[in-house]
Amino acid sequence: ENTFGQERLQEKITLNLKNADIKAVLKSIERKANVVFSYQKGVIATDEKLTIDIKDETLESVLQRILTPRQISYQVIKANKIVLVRRVLGNEPEASEPKPVPTTLDIQLAQTVMGTVTDENGAGLPGVSVIVKGTQKGTTTDASGKYKIDVPDEKAILVFSYVGYLSQELVVGNQSQINISLKTDIKALNEVVVVGYGTVKKSDLTGSVAQVKSKELNAFPTANVLQSLSGRAAGVQVTQNNGSPGGGVSVRIRGTNSIQGSNEPLYVVDGFPTSGSNPTVLNNVDIESIEILKDASATAIYGSRGANGVVLITTKRGKAGETNVDFETSYSSQTLRRKLDLMNAREYATFYNKQAANDGIRPYFTQTQIDSFGEGFDWQDFVFQKAPMKTMSLNISGGNEKTQFSVSGSAFGQEGIIRESNYNRYSLRTNINHIISKKFTFNLASTLTRIMTQAQNSQGGNRGGSLISAAVSSPPILSPYNDDGTYRIFGTAYSFISALLVNPINPLNEQSNQTKGNRILTNAAFIYNPIPELTIKVSGGIENMDDRTDSYTTNNFINSQGSAGISTSQFTSFLSENTVSYLKTLQQKHNISAVVGFTYQDFLSTSLGGNGVGFLSNTSQTYDLGAANTPGIPSSSYSQSKLLSYLGRLNYSYDSKYLATMSFRVDGSSKYSEGNKWGYFPSAAVAWRISNEEFLKNNTFISDLKLRASWGLTGSQAIGPYATLNQLFSGKTVFDDALFTTYAPGTVLPGNLKWETTEQKDIGLDVGILNNRFLITADYYIKNTRDLLNTVQLPSSLGFTSTIQNIGEIQNKGFELGLNANVLTGALKWHINTNISFNRNKILKLYGGQDILGGFVDISAITDNRNILREGQPLGRFWGYIEDGYDDKGKIRYKDINGDGSITVLDKTYIGNPNPNFIYGITSNWSFRNIELSIFLQGTQGNDIFNTSSINNTVDFGYGLNMPREVYFNHWTPATPNAKYPIVSNTTRTNVSNRFVEDGSYLRLKNIQIAYNLPLQNWGVKWMRSAQLYASAQNFLTLTKYSWWDPEVNSNGGANSTAQGFDHNSYPTSKAMTAGVRVGF
Amino acid sequence: CESILKEEPKSLATETFYNTAAEVEAAVNAIYTPLRSSNTSGMGVYIAVLEAHIDYAYGRGSYAVLNNFQGLDNVNISRTAGAWEGFYLSIRNANLVIKNAPNGKSISKANIDKYIAEAKFLRAFNYFHLVRNWGGIPIRTEANMTEINAKRNSVAEVYNLILADLKVAEAGLPDQISQSGRPSKWAAKTLLADVYLELKRYAEARDKAEEVMLSKKFSLVAVQTSEDFQKIFGPTVVTTSEEVFYLKYSRQSGQGNLWPWLTNHPSTRLHGGGGVYGHHSDVTNPVYKNWDDKDLRKGLWYAWNIGLGATSILSKKFIDPDAIGGSGAGNDAPWYRYADVLLIYAEAASQAANGPTTAALEALNQVHRRAYGLAPTSPSAIDFKLTDYNTPSFLDLIIKERGYEFQYEGKRWLELKRTGKAKQIILASKSKTIADKAYLWPIAVSELGYNTAIDAVKDQNPGY
Repeated sequence: ENTFGQERLQEKITLNLKNADIKAVLKSIERKANVVFSYQKGVIATDEKLTIDIKDETLESVLQRILTPRQISYQVIKANKIVLVRRVLGNEPEASEPKPVPTTLDIQLAQTVMGTVTDENGAGLPGVSVIVKGTQKGTTTDASGKYKIDVPDEKAILVFSYVGYLSQELVVGNQSQINISLKTDIKALNEVVVVGYGTVKKSDLTGSVAQVKSKELNAFPTANVLQSLSGRAAGVQVTQNNGSPGGGVSVRIRGTNSIQGSNEPLYVVDGFPTSGSNPTVLNNVDIESIEILKDASATAIYGSRGANGVVLITTKRGKAGETNVDFETSYSSQTLRRKLDLMNAREYATFYNKQAANDGIRPYFTQTQIDSFGEGFDWQDFVFQKAPMKTMSLNISGGNEKTQFSVSGSAFGQEGIIRESNYNRYSLRTNINHIISKKFTFNLASTLTRIMTQAQNSQGGNRGGSLISAAVSSPPILSPYNDDGTYRIFGTAYSFISALLVNPINPLNEQSNQTKGNRILTNAAFIYNPIPELTIKVSGGIENMDDRTDSYTTNNFINSQGSAGISTSQFTSFLSENTVSYLKTLQQKHNISAVVGFTYQDFLSTSLGGNGVGFLSNTSQTYDLGAANTPGIPSSSYSQSKLLSYLGRLNYSYDSKYLATMSFRVDGSSKYSEGNKWGYFPSAAVAWRISNEEFLKNNTFISDLKLRASWGLTGSQAIGPYATLNQLFSGKTVFDDALFTTYAPGTVLPGNLKWETTEQKDIGLDVGILNNRFLITADYYIKNTRDLLNTVQLPSSLGFTSTIQNIGEIQNKGFELGLNANVLTGALKWHINTNISFNRNKILKLYGGQDILGGFVDISAITDNRNILREGQPLGRFWGYIEDGYDDKGKIRYKDINGDGSITVLDKTYIGNPNPNFIYGITSNWSFRNIELSIFLQGTQGNDIFNTSSINNTVDFGYGLNMPREVYFNHWTPATPNAKYPIVSNTTRTNVSNRFVEDGSYLRLKNIQIAYNLPLQNWGVKWMRSAQLYASAQNFLTLTKYSWWDPEVNSNGGANSTAQGFDHNSYPTSKAMTAGVRVGF
Repeated sequence: CESILKEEPKSLATETFYNTAAEVEAAVNAIYTPLRSSNTSGMGVYIAVLEAHIDYAYGRGSYAVLNNFQGLDNVNISRTAGAWEGFYLSIRNANLVIKNAPNGKSISKANIDKYIAEAKFLRAFNYFHLVRNWGGIPIRTEANMTEINAKRNSVAEVYNLILADLKVAEAGLPDQISQSGRPSKWAAKTLLADVYLELKRYAEARDKAEEVMLSKKFSLVAVQTSEDFQKIFGPTVVTTSEEVFYLKYSRQSGQGNLWPWLTNHPSTRLHGGGGVYGHHSDVTNPVYKNWDDKDLRKGLWYAWNIGLGATSILSKKFIDPDAIGGSGAGNDAPWYRYADVLLIYAEAASQAANGPTTAALEALNQVHRRAYGLAPTSPSAIDFKLTDYNTPSFLDLIIKERGYEFQYEGKRWLELKRTGKAKQIILASKSKTIADKAYLWPIAVSELGYNTAIDAVKDQNPGY
């Protein structure tokens, strides 16, 4: 008849009370666990104060923790009634039958043990519970940490436990005096880690999962939360595409798998698998933790979207108890990280006179003119500015046992180091958890975000045709304005200057490009627990993105009559997830947890765009397209895809020693051909917690040792909707002077397509040393992606230039090492977290062994492909000519690789590799009393950059482009035949060659911060919980050989998987100084 | 659940198209799109590469290398590859019409014939450009359009297809076109005449050109000043009596002509999108020096310093001060004007008769008179006299006249090659000896790399 009562004891409760008397504690437990305590007067001391911080512990263990040391025993007498009795020695009440801890009625009290419990610094610890293992017998230490306890025999084991410290067990033996020092609980292994469709204790993980906590994510302000992941976790490579505010970031987890598709991981925010390559809905401060699922055991539960890894983002939740108010604000000042050392006006004029002389043209400048130029105008100073970045957030969280909430409002505002570029995000986030009744729970996570951003063109351009290339190329002999205040036209001022070179004042003042976007991500769930072991969860969510971009070029822009364009896009994803999970411990040692589910998600995109050219006035900008002299052709689009999935996972562990996980997911996607729509993604993993074996259990050096192995299949949806259909696309052509509609297929021949499958094997080792002061995680993996969706080039005479086929195989294998160390834990604390990852990528098979050329550069000086995908080679190797010095006229010579006597495409060869040998990150924190110092270093080693920017600005002579000073000092003349740069002549030609391939390795001091925590307790401030002031610097120091602005660059973006490592006039990265405040009330 | 996964795009599908006249017409319209591309790596620069190979003008910047006549460098190889791809995309779209139109469910036989004739005209037009620039090329018709690999056919095989297609076009195209920009049967005859001339089948060339002349459907537009040429080539001209077959452009984004941008200079304000002056001439050029100042066509050149010294001159033949950006000029690309019909006739008639005829001379004189601001069809003082010329000298005269008449129309280089005078004329005008490899362009890498029926080394054009 007590079965229900026993279940009640297994219910988990969370309790957080400070300095409460024990009666209040019991009252609180009564409310939370829905029980009633009954006891006689005198059983409970009235004056004893307790501080309790318990999370998700069973009622049984809570009661043991609180009551046993106080010589109180308990007995469940009705479903919810618990009687408390002061224990008389030798008269233990009989324990409830199925209770795992047997107690005996007549314990022989053989001996008495006494001693002192101290902390690491030797100070006595009061209130430590000392229990004889396997009994309800126990005591607590007094104010000075002293205790005294009677034990039955010398085999008795004493368990010392105290909140915030690691529990310790000691065999009494023949000792009568046992002094013990408790160590701070670093908690690492008891932390809960979020995995797909559930959570798991870190110690029970069988897969490879990295976790990054809010403190690191929020260490310094970033527009994109993914930037804060850079260098924080092994196996995760984060590259910002360029330095523009809010600019995209590409993330690679364990290398690049797919040629055709995206290689960005799947981002799952509070359980919602989002679309898009960057989650832009959240501000960093809203995030509690990010888990990165790397091996197939962890990712296969996401099936067809798991092949590139999965990033789980968990936002902050409320806790029952006091209401917390947290406020943060920071201010940063950003500047151009590094200026290029360009020619000044005098050097520029001399340089171009030299070109004229070499080309037999009359000198452009007289010596008198040259002498009068002096330093000239500094265009970098003109284009780049000092720019602020501000963050602010207010979070209110709290609740009671029934309802917990966390609400936050935050604002992020970044001005670009180029005028008229910025990124502003405002978001409001709400998380509510409400316990409707014993069996029903409801929760809601919802974020509403407004993004407003102004963009300046952030990359590309030819001969100064874009703002950023113009910032380098503009002649220092000229200033932005004519004497009459009009904009100077360089090509008119001096006819030798390229007409493409735009005066930067034009885009800065006369062009705007603004995007306003709304993001909604909301997810609600009903949870039903018919019995405590079983959880049925029904959830639904919506992700919505509405963007509108307005671009306007005024009629003051050179050669412009005014042009306006508006494009809007709408995206909606609806998600329905239904899961059943089961958790059970059998015979104490068999832990089983399982989840099965069914999910449906659809993705709908529509777009609408309009434009017009020729406006009488700039007043209406984009708000009266109808006023255009030439209204453009409107455009709109529609695409929808659906994903239907069944999933299941079983975790089993035996005695916390042997752990196994199996998962399975079946995905059906509308994108694939009939008969190929379904994909099957199984995984299996085993782990052996060697440290729980008897022979290691009491080892004082190795505190944790776990060996993991996993295998699994994941998929990737490398194609867009309708890729297998023979669609016709509309277009326009002209007859008379009117537009007529055309219909024709695209140039990609549709194929019969199925899933890409990635098979991944992982073997990992987790080691904890010296009470887990040092935690090491090492993983070795091999990933083979087969049925690779591969662009198969077709002969262009077919009209279709390519098709997509499931042919091809890529392999990534690598090694990752993470080290987490609490080097010092005393008054001076020192914590280090480092990681290093090595990934090797190799293309195993391509269609017919056929090379795929990519990375096309289309600037006047070079129009050619820059990289190649070839069997046996890593992805995206740079492909070009090898230079072979200069001929006797100072022109570049190339190596005749095939020896046929002429330089043709057949002489192209490997000239570089954009894939790094290894990437690494080091975080080091020191704290002493109230002061914290942290530094964060991050770097990559061995990757090459193809510096497209430098083509126009180092060898494209004769167009009046300014160049680095080095070109001025170090070019070919008959006297300097081995100079770095060729003869300065407009007949100098260049090709895609090793000249433009540079070492992109770097080591960067990403962040250094000093923080001061105000000693509020000492000051007796009660109304404030905590207050921290900090100052920090980002990108303060970068060690690199890269010649252009910044080595952290990826002009082609993350989406273009096969063309990585290019720098083509990218928006430069800034460095910043930040000051901020974090206050809690 | 499976039914949820069925895709329902809101777009048209190949399988259910080509059923009505309107659908087939939209498919025919798509044959023009690749030829009109304003893409800077595609067809837009085809004319620019051709015009950098001529006697009266020079390429600048990345086109300058062509002034040496030593073949293409990598930049220009990419450009011609873009043109190759454009022509073949246009051919594919023509093949789709030729293959699918006959199976249309609700389209009349007359309409099927009309659209197939239009498609075959355009297919022949594409192959004619391909065969002259690349030599023997793979033939893609409706019969082998889905086969991935195709060998290089011989030049003769390509011409056989061109002639066969043009005969169908000649028979099936309308006498009167519904919109300018579409070919009429007269356009088919003109193209046929040009092909015959290329093949040195002079009598047939003469007869086809004569049929067009006798139709009285076309006449030269009279001009009084150099500026009056804007009545023919200007950006807002919709059509003229001179138009036989043009590619039409409009000041719309994506629908404009790129070529004028490549020839203009931004500070002249003759092009709304500025310009990159990739082509220019020079007062020292012999063609320019020997040109009669009274010829209004010479007046299209004006002096402008483009940084290469004070002697450089630019052309204001193709200008659009209101162009909406670089590729947004409204000027049409005149592939066949009535002037061309007259000069084809003159050359063919003289060659066929082994000496200039009165009619041949009159045809030439009409073009010549118009260029001097005179009434084209009335005899004038500047007329050439029959007695002054024999077969070779008359051919030289026509070649010279064509050079003046078709400046920047993409015709000169092909005609220098056709007449076998390229080597001599380029040596005379530019003191350059044309390398053998400069006569044919390399087959695009996008073809060679992926067509196993063509050997990348053995089958490539010489020198590449």
